[in-house]
Amino acid sequence: MPVLPAGPRRLRSGTAVLALTAAALVLSGCAGSSLDQSGGGQAGDAVKIGLLVPLSGVYAPLGEDMRNGFQLYLDQHGGKLGGRTAEVVTADEGEGPQTGVPAAQKLVTQDQATAVVGVVNSATALGLRDFFHESKKPLLVANAGADDITGARKSAYVWRTSFANGKVGAPLGAAVAKEVDGGVYLIAADYAAGREVVAGFRKTFEAAGGKVAGEKYTPFGKTQDFQPFLSAIRGTDAKAVYAFYAGAEAVSFVKQYRQFGLTDSTPLYGAGFLTEGGVLDAQGDAAAGVKTALHYSSELDTPRNKEFVDAYRKAYDEAPTVYAVQAYDSAAVLDKALANAPGGSGEEVAKALAGVGPIDSPRGQWSFDTDHDAQQKYYLREVRDSGATMVNAVVSELS
Amino acid sequence: MVTYLVGALNGLAMGSLLFAIALGLSLVFGMMDVLNLAHGAVYLVGAYLAVALAGDGAGPMAFVVAVLAAAGAGAVLGGVLAGLSRATPHHLDQALLTLGVSLVVAELLSVFFGNDVHSVAAPAPVAGSVTVFGESYPVYRLLVIGFGVMLAVGVYVLVERSRLGSLIRATVADRGMVSALGVHTGRVLVGVFAAGAGLAAVGGVLAGPILGAAPGLDEKVLLLALVVVVIGGLGSVRGALLGAVLIGQVQALGTTLLPEYASFLVFAAMALVLLLRPAGLLPARTAVSA
Repeated sequence: MPVLPAGPRRLRSGTAVLALTAAALVLSGCAGSSLDQSGGGQAGDAVKIGLLVPLSGVYAPLGEDMRNGFQLYLDQHGGKLGGRTAEVVTADEGEGPQTGVPAAQKLVTQDQATAVVGVVNSATALGLRDFFHESKKPLLVANAGADDITGARKSAYVWRTSFANGKVGAPLGAAVAKEVDGGVYLIAADYAAGREVVAGFRKTFEAAGGKVAGEKYTPFGKTQDFQPFLSAIRGTDAKAVYAFYAGAEAVSFVKQYRQFGLTDSTPLYGAGFLTEGGVLDAQGDAAAGVKTALHYSSELDTPRNKEFVDAYRKAYDEAPTVYAVQAYDSAAVLDKALANAPGGSGEEVAKALAGVGPIDSPRGQWSFDTDHDAQQKYYLREVRDSGATMVNAVVSELS
Repeated sequence: MVTYLVGALNGLAMGSLLFAIALGLSLVFGMMDVLNLAHGAVYLVGAYLAVALAGDGAGPMAFVVAVLAAAGAGAVLGGVLAGLSRATPHHLDQALLTLGVSLVVAELLSVFFGNDVHSVAAPAPVAGSVTVFGESYPVYRLLVIGFGVMLAVGVYVLVERSRLGSLIRATVADRGMVSALGVHTGRVLVGVFAAGAGLAAVGGVLAGPILGAAPGLDEKVLLLALVVVVIGGLGSVRGALLGAVLIGQVQALGTTLLPEYASFLVFAAMALVLLLRPAGLLPARTAVSA
């Protein structure tokens, strides 16, 4: 056994190691790894599609839903897109651009994918914009919400089948201004998505005569206990709250909102991600009565959606989420576009994407606008108890 | 004013949980010089046990069962880690070893429970809220404060007043000397490692209704526990208690007073302590005390 050094010195060096470890934990992001699947050559009557979704890290549940949605479309259409057999190469997007960007580049350069579908993280999508623009390959963004993707930094090769943050916030503004008699408190996670969604809401809300009682952005990914913020809301004369959170933060926020007794006095509104998918399962009863706006709910009462929900349940034994629909629709878009792009070059596919017209989707009919963003209906949803589980019941259609 | 009082109360609840979690980390490092980076993973095992056994809206019995199961599972994991970490005397090797174990455990948990965020309901009788200082406050968090006080008293009596405690303190202070006196220090070390890990897993169950269970939570909790240990000083029960209460208050009141800086206040506090008292506020008394 080695001789132990004298006490105080040992302790001090120990503290230093601890402090350094703490610092390293703060600084290090969690690096995911890309799933390596060896790429073969392009078969004669096949088309290769890259699926870039997070399979590790905090966004992994979204990635699983997206992969399921994409796969369901293929299964329903004999594994073909545009009349050709689709060969899907999946890569792990991870949590951020440091893993997502190289994974996408691998799909295009090494695997020679005709088009890439996916991308959850906005920073990854923006980081990939120049790469796809310059290599003239189509990228179908199936979740990342940054306004710039189809705004200031739009590209002929980047198309979005999901949503823009500002457009998710906007539809609820007028409705809340009408429903709530008094000020509304705005609270969101402090990152681009949170600020863009709240800005979108605020614009239409104030235009409709609504008054903002307060505004707060909480540290993103570092807030587990919302009590101080909830206490601050109580300290104002707010009559309602509009919130943007997703994932673990959405669960904590909604549960604590009820635990600290705000639910009954101040109704909670939000962007749909606040109560979507696995997040709602974890919130359980605590989410009852929360009203949100989103472009989809598994409860939508249309024949097209019912058929989709049944098929999805049969395949995966759970209700579909908005993320699954976004990927499902991406496959539908590609199916149409590839049929009109027999050569399969990037330019040809991009041109064909412009001509796909309306998409008959479980979320209702939608189409690309001139900025390549999805132009679609938004629904006012309210969390209700369906007996077995909590669901996002559709209250009405928002303009 | 009321806002701050409720904030302080909330800080105590978080401090109680942090104390339970950080205590094992502190004693193990002080005693064995092992930086156990798998401590957060042990916590997460407890949190997921709460999900599996107590789930949503379970009765108090299921919750008690979850606590006991977590204590057992944590102790076993701690024993294994103690055995593993004795294979190498080097700090860095041990840190890498325990980091590897934590990655494996976290991945296994995500294979079994999926990547979704899970939540745990407080046991039915204490799931409601009471009015404290004119605001409604969850009863469960008050119970957590009570648990923290009981744990602090219990551990104080055990470590500072009992024969076993004097053995533990002596081993922290000078392992070589205790060994020379004919005590099998290996057993003390494994015992403390197992008890500390068991406590961390119990912390995971108790924190379930507040923090839930999700992939990545282990790192967040480990980080806070490390900060508590750095602030409190290594190998000391009182240090861990002081550090935990302090960090609880810094988080709660800091967020109320300076919300813009909330995410960095905890580390500012750690930096300040490192500058003024590099060995922590209440380090363990050692063989060659100043």
